[in-house]
Amino acid sequence: MKISNKIQFFSLLLAGLFWGCETDDVQKLENRNWTLTWSDEFEGEKDQAPDPTKWTYDLGTGQNGWGNNEYQTYTQRPENVGLDGDGYLVITALNQPFGGANFSSARIKTQGLFTQKYGRFEARIKSPYGPGIWPAFWMLGENINEVSWPQCGEIDIMELRGQAPSTMYGTLHGPGYSGGNAVSKNYSLTNARFDNDFYLYAVEWDENKIDFFVNNYLYGRITKEDVPGEWVYDQPFYMILNVAVGGNFVGFPTSQTPFPQQMVIDFVRVYQKSN
Amino acid sequence: MKVFNIKNINRIFFAGALSIFVMACERDVTDLGTPNYPANPEVFIDGFSGGLNYAAFGGSVPTAFQIDNKETHNSSSASMRFEVPDANDPRGAYAGGTFFTGSGRNLSSFNVLTFWAKASKSATIDIVGFGNDLGVNKSTVSISGLAVNTNWKKYYIPIPDPSKLTAERGMFFYSEGPEEGKGYTFWIDEVRFENLGTIAHTKYYILDGKTETKEAEINEKIQITGLKTSANLPNGVDQTVDASVAYFTFSSSNEEIATVNELGEVTIISSGEATITAKVGETPASGALTIKPAGSTPGPTSPAPVPGKPAMDVISLYSNAYTNVPVDTWNTRWQFSTAEEFFIKVQNDDVIRYKNLNFVGIEFASNTINATSMTHFHLDIWTPDEVTAAKAFKVLLVDFGPNNSFGGGDDSSHELTFKAPLITSGNWVGIDVPLTAFSGLTRRGNLAQLVLSGDFPNVYIDNVYFYKSGGGGPTAPTTAAPVPVYPATNVISIFSDQYTNVAGINLNPNWGQATKVTEISIQNNKTLKYEGLNYQGIEFGSNQNVSSFQFLHLDFWTANSTELRIFLISPGPVETPFTLTVPTTGWSSIDIPLTAFAPVKLNEVFQIKMEGNGDIYLDNILFRK
Repeated sequence: MKISNKIQFFSLLLAGLFWGCETDDVQKLENRNWTLTWSDEFEGEKDQAPDPTKWTYDLGTGQNGWGNNEYQTYTQRPENVGLDGDGYLVITALNQPFGGANFSSARIKTQGLFTQKYGRFEARIKSPYGPGIWPAFWMLGENINEVSWPQCGEIDIMELRGQAPSTMYGTLHGPGYSGGNAVSKNYSLTNARFDNDFYLYAVEWDENKIDFFVNNYLYGRITKEDVPGEWVYDQPFYMILNVAVGGNFVGFPTSQTPFPQQMVIDFVRVYQKSN
Repeated sequence: MKVFNIKNINRIFFAGALSIFVMACERDVTDLGTPNYPANPEVFIDGFSGGLNYAAFGGSVPTAFQIDNKETHNSSSASMRFEVPDANDPRGAYAGGTFFTGSGRNLSSFNVLTFWAKASKSATIDIVGFGNDLGVNKSTVSISGLAVNTNWKKYYIPIPDPSKLTAERGMFFYSEGPEEGKGYTFWIDEVRFENLGTIAHTKYYILDGKTETKEAEINEKIQITGLKTSANLPNGVDQTVDASVAYFTFSSSNEEIATVNELGEVTIISSGEATITAKVGETPASGALTIKPAGSTPGPTSPAPVPGKPAMDVISLYSNAYTNVPVDTWNTRWQFSTAEEFFIKVQNDDVIRYKNLNFVGIEFASNTINATSMTHFHLDIWTPDEVTAAKAFKVLLVDFGPNNSFGGGDDSSHELTFKAPLITSGNWVGIDVPLTAFSGLTRRGNLAQLVLSGDFPNVYIDNVYFYKSGGGGPTAPTTAAPVPVYPATNVISIFSDQYTNVAGINLNPNWGQATKVTEISIQNNKTLKYEGLNYQGIEFGSNQNVSSFQFLHLDFWTANSTELRIFLISPGPVETPFTLTVPTTGWSSIDIPLTAFAPVKLNEVFQIKMEGNGDIYLDNILFRK
């Protein structure tokens, strides 16, 4: 089942009234009109690779486990990434040795194909789960190859620890506030889990702030003043979807981690403010 | 950590003398007899919930369970304390009991039983669960081997299908024995049923989730086991529980081939293929059993030869020809044995069929057999399986010794191995051996076990008996070997009265052997005799080209050899052994395919050698087409 493309943005107004878990009390969101600038609905045949005009890959084990001591190798095999034929993209983490690693998974990105400065970035995702499983929907500054990380900036729209599937995080990493010192917001479900259903994860980003949403509920806002270093979010960013197995953020998988694990993505949509 | 003791589980379900203590029981007087039971989720929070009773299982320490007001979770007012006894505690061997209600509760709106637990030391509780109502225990769900330690931790027992629990009386049960002989204490608190959205990805399994294929015969019954449910806990880890059969609905893909009842028992109706699967509610369970017809395995169409020994000289375990002594079991089902036994009839003759035979224990320990006056063991076997030179059928006899019981240092046993050419496929084969051949069986006054094993998974057996042969049996042949009937043009003879033997044969070359070689005459027929064989050669005098011949033919007779091999040799020397089945019952004639001696060069064979033991009589050693 896919939800309609017509998002009810009116709900933003309502949602803003309830974001009570931060130190700020109540904030009203101004009304906005968004224009769709890019999207992938993941329609296509089963096992088809994601649209090559929209997505490219990070492959292999990276340096030092992609800088995080991750355990997996990333591949573009249909076992690890592909459409399911029902309108979803599925990234699958497997615990079978491949390419010198004990786990394989996939990490796809729009680098070199699509970047955008400011706007709304959203994806509807059903999370994987289990100790050491680390799914993420996130962005990096397009100048990463010139200035390197974290100077390029990183906007994490959604990530969670598979051993705590009721809590997700939205985070900014930049110069002077990266890794364990990143500026982070989180949102926990009461008596529910992010791996049990689809949730819509989004950021709304402008020159002054980045707002973080779950199902259009604003759970966190990080402004220019909130970051203890340079605000590096005034340049185009590209998007990344991946499932890591193990790593500094999540810890490591155990013999009790259920495999295979799947991150199921209904759509990714990007908007620009139109007024 | 200790090995999980399955007996502890059995205790729960077969608990005999129950001592029931009704504790803090507020009698539930409302709505008795109405179908709508209360949905009270609380079992033990800070005391017994309404209507809750406790009963200790039979054999457990009756006072193992106490309410504790000091050691509680989250500083609440009370917890449940369980005192596991040391081994050999006179009050009871373990701690075990169940908390149950007099009338049912409707638990269908909950998806998990939760509780907190800690222990005085790290330990593994044998079993905890719910659904034990001291009755039919229909809805039992349990965790086997629950790891606890000295910290309070929350535990979850997922309910496979809450809709089944509309009138449940079994709220919580446990059973735990000493760990490595030592008792300890554990506490359980805040026991309640909950409906948690943080329990996810519930999955169901039959056969532990495996897809199995089984060959089955008509009327055979197969129990579906390995019924499990797993659910993912709030920490992302799956909790697997054993679930009773009542949660599962079974179905067969072809009811005309196999049916399956609500208890998961499959019955084979007719020959064909059918697959048994299961659901919990509307959700399919992982795992399936595919039945395939076993009709492809042929069996004997005629009975084994009827034994002719006088009954007074026989102790029979299994034969229609004699009165059989009691046998405890024809399949002890020892660990790792895959054998299944079927008692069938072949033309009204009783025959035991073994299937999937790797080894099978046959036990008569309750009435051990005194076979000291017997001389031979007999067994008829029939196998449809392919016979190759390497495949063996083994017979092990075990004597428990004067103490008439297993162990104690006086047991003895010996195993004999039988191969082709004695063993053939599709024929009744008589295994008939002197008991002296079981040389390691130092006593036979308290025979208690017979173990059959080997490389033939399908074996039919009949006429299993010990017998006394007159005078202990002949030690030398009284008749000449059978006269060979092959045309002389098809024969190169080494030793035979019927043919012209190769010129220059040396029947006793000096190779340093201990064997004593003589030529004797039996019924005016020259016979070669080896006494006290260790090894013995025959030199042909000239190289023989037998490459156009098919067999090495040989007649041999031995009453006391337990090991005998024959080698064909070409220069090099290149030599290959072939094992002969000994001892023999009368003359044994064998045609050994010359291909069995590869890589011996058949165009220039020049010697034969025998190795082994005992006294051997030989005749008609020849190559034939």
